[in-house]
Amino acid sequence: MRWLVVYCHPVPESFCAGLRDVAIEVLNRRGEDVRLVDLYAEGFDPVMGCEERRAYNDRAPGDPALAPHIENLKWAEAILFVYPTWWYGLPAMLKGWLDRVWAMDVAFRLPDEGKRIVSLMPHVQRIGVVTTCGAPWWWSVVIGQPGRRTILRGMRALCAWRCRTFYLAHYDMDRSTAESRAAFLDKLKRRLEKF
Amino acid sequence: MNILVLYAHPVETSYTAGLHEMIVERLRAAGHLVDDCDLYAEDFDPRLSRQERLAYHDTRSQGDPADPYVQRLLKADALVLSFPVWNYGYPAILKGFFDRVFLPGVSFKLVDGKVRPSLHNIRKVATVTTYGGSRFRAMLMGDPPRKIVKRMLRATVKPGAPVTYLAHYSMNLSTDVSRERFSAKVAARMDAF
Repeated sequence: MRWLVVYCHPVPESFCAGLRDVAIEVLNRRGEDVRLVDLYAEGFDPVMGCEERRAYNDRAPGDPALAPHIENLKWAEAILFVYPTWWYGLPAMLKGWLDRVWAMDVAFRLPDEGKRIVSLMPHVQRIGVVTTCGAPWWWSVVIGQPGRRTILRGMRALCAWRCRTFYLAHYDMDRSTAESRAAFLDKLKRRLEKF
Repeated sequence: MNILVLYAHPVETSYTAGLHEMIVERLRAAGHLVDDCDLYAEDFDPRLSRQERLAYHDTRSQGDPADPYVQRLLKADALVLSFPVWNYGYPAILKGFFDRVFLPGVSFKLVDGKVRPSLHNIRKVATVTTYGGSRFRAMLMGDPPRKIVKRMLRATVKPGAPVTYLAHYSMNLSTDVSRERFSAKVAARMDAF
């Protein structure tokens, strides 16, 4: 399968980077076709500008900086997101990637007035999310896990009808220990091997 | 009241831009001191940088790039958010405001790894937003932006502070009548802020 790994963390030596490496290692071992997008490393601009917004409902964005991202999205059959959860949601960088790349005539089409939007991503059959949360699990649930819903419901709705998903989070990150982190890496390994 | 208006929309002629203008006008007319923070106009960079992440838990100095925004947030008695919902969330530029400005020691304190909300200078919150899709579709998705405001933000500001969430759903099917009705609703709320 063709896997697009979308990684978003500003610190190259972070725990998230370790999660990314483990994920890629497992996918490579399984013989999957893997592409990595490292949003911070490439200095992606997450801010949708005025002209892009004006044309948003009419056509695919024309910014040449987005072209390789659009190509990746058309190429992928599975997408793995690796990022830290900040304020219960995606880092602005990753949110901007969704806003700018999952665009009209790329991820969806708006038909004539009154009709439902048409998905253009039926080729994406798997979505995985690997993240870290400062908050404990129960509090994340009370808040309603907005980041999880944005990807696993909002973005998934544009993918294959039977798109399979998984969500793995290391909660309570500010009180994590070497053991809890090692256990989480292990959990990710096992989850991806079976997925 | 000192009111910080956080506004995020790139197009000056958009419906959201019109709402924003009206919000600021009405609040000022009612005698409030409004700090109008137009994130696009101020060219706010929403990306939390490597340096900021590494220094996240340290006490920030005045030279810190996020410090002017921290000061504006701490000076405010109330917060008004004006933005469009994109992909069931904030536009990146507004999400980045939370990532970079809602810092330890500003909006919360970490005590033994546990978060203690502390943005108690904010005594009132209002959100004015628009969704492309219907309310039903937003509900199916779990309506993340509504949850972020009604739960996360409510838990962060002064306990008991009123939090309102005004949304025009189904913008893609909106009419002059639906937009006018929504604008009138927002206007009434701002007059009575």
